[in-house]
Amino acid sequence: MTGDPLLTVVDLHRSFGGVRAVDGVSFHVERGSTTGLIGPNGAGKSTALGTIAGALRADGGSVTFDGEEITALAPMHRARRGLIRTFQSSSEFDRLTVLENLLVGDQSHSGETLRSALLLGPRSWRRHERDVVARARELLDRFQMSDKEDEWAGILSGGQKRLLEIMRGLMADPKLLLLDEPMAGVNPTLARGIERHLERLREAGLTMLMVEHELGVVERLCDRVIVMAQGKVISEGTMETLRRDQEVLDAYLVG
Amino acid sequence: MSVAWQFYFSTLLIYLAVNVMAVWGLNLQFGVAGISSFAFIVFQAAGAYTAGVLTLGPSTNASFQQYVGGANLPFPLPVIAAGLVGGLLAGLVGLVGIRRLRTDYQAMVMLVISLTATYLADNQTNVVNGPAGLSLVPKPLEGGLGLSTISYQWFYVGLAAAFCVIIYWFVRRYTNSPLGRATRAVRDNEQAAAALGKNVFGLRMIAFVAGGVIAGISGAVFVEFIGAWSPGSWLYPETFVLFTAILVGGTGNNVGVAVGALLVPIGFLESTRFLPNIGYPGFVDALQWIAVGVLALIFLWFWPRGVIPERKRRFPHPGEKPVGLAALRLLRLRR
Repeated sequence: MTGDPLLTVVDLHRSFGGVRAVDGVSFHVERGSTTGLIGPNGAGKSTALGTIAGALRADGGSVTFDGEEITALAPMHRARRGLIRTFQSSSEFDRLTVLENLLVGDQSHSGETLRSALLLGPRSWRRHERDVVARARELLDRFQMSDKEDEWAGILSGGQKRLLEIMRGLMADPKLLLLDEPMAGVNPTLARGIERHLERLREAGLTMLMVEHELGVVERLCDRVIVMAQGKVISEGTMETLRRDQEVLDAYLVG
Repeated sequence: MSVAWQFYFSTLLIYLAVNVMAVWGLNLQFGVAGISSFAFIVFQAAGAYTAGVLTLGPSTNASFQQYVGGANLPFPLPVIAAGLVGGLLAGLVGLVGIRRLRTDYQAMVMLVISLTATYLADNQTNVVNGPAGLSLVPKPLEGGLGLSTISYQWFYVGLAAAFCVIIYWFVRRYTNSPLGRATRAVRDNEQAAAALGKNVFGLRMIAFVAGGVIAGISGAVFVEFIGAWSPGSWLYPETFVLFTAILVGGTGNNVGVAVGALLVPIGFLESTRFLPNIGYPGFVDALQWIAVGVLALIFLWFWPRGVIPERKRRFPHPGEKPVGLAALRLLRLRR
């Protein structure tokens, strides 16, 4: 497989006690592609994602992002390089409004520095704030959430929280968006909605790596799919070819 | 109003000002940054002690009380130094207690620090003069002004109020800024904030140190007024009174927590002073502590956002007329 890898994972290991949750995983994500990470429960997909995002420390192996090895970096430093993730469980800032949640997503807000916020005061960041607010409103509009702008994020429905988290990630202007089951626990109608939004992001050229259980979604959204079982990559390719792969079918049936 | 009542009310107002400043500081740490700062009283006490010794003058062998770092600085300087010491101490405690610890463990570390500090101050008599502490701290500017006792009381009310205004200006600027917003995001979900590139530790430390500075200043304003300091009057339960004030007033809301300071340490504790003495001596005092705990629990269960909850921050749409204070500013510009 040739191309331009944005993310390269080599021989990644991560154990919890005696359990090798991720046991020598290698794969890459090409720039501009949407890659699916599938596998039965306990296959190590979320652990792999967590290790790539830095929330979990790798026991071995390396993660290279955009030409730079990031295996030892803390999550915030990975995020600042454009590696943005969403979480499996809802992780909104519940006592911030929806709009404020998005504003926090901005990576380089001048008003978040000590000097600007406390010493120089609002004059030093007001213009930047206006720009960020405008950008956030565009996103809200695109995701049909404008009417929720001033709502506390904590009272949104599960599906809306998912959308909020994706929007918040987009505010950070990601090079790669890691999605951990973006439709888990969401009713089918809203799940279709989220899928449509992801489809549009894909068309816009955003690189994404997503863990997802619903194979139909994976087939529609992903250019390439990586199949994990018991901590290892057992197969990869397009969904079409994987459907014919006996090992994959076995993993799903047995797993 | 009789002189006695004037004296009482002015004293109460000064206590209120001290408590209001303190809850603003604690609110930065707890309400905004989400740190269970159970060592808060230590920062306040350290500030108070600093202001005390910097007002008392150098400690000599002949004087009846021994302390470290005595000096005779003119008035605002001891208070400023108190803020620095409070902030510095918060910085040290933060390095130990906030880095790499989950918030529940942070709370435990802070509580232990608070207890340790009390034992240390009580038993290491050569550091802060043991349980006796400091006394006879001269009141600021008292000699120079030549006011009567009661006039000086009201003068000090004004002084304390001035400090409140300065600190309110600061905490408002802080909490309304994008820095404050990022800090609140860390409070709500630390992992998600880190995943957006926020420096969780850094944001917490800024709030923690700023809260420590304010704690130090509030302690200084207190000790300069009452003229005495001892470890026994800065025990860890005092921290919980301030926490209760925040929970009752409205966590995260600067105006709310100030109202909480009026309701809990002043209103609630002061009103029980007028209860008749029942049971053995100290029984009513003990009941007060229980009542404060019950009050905190009631609010946590039934009214977690407090009397004046954290308000939604709305952003004007382009072309929309600014509302409230912003409109006033516009008027001023036009004139």
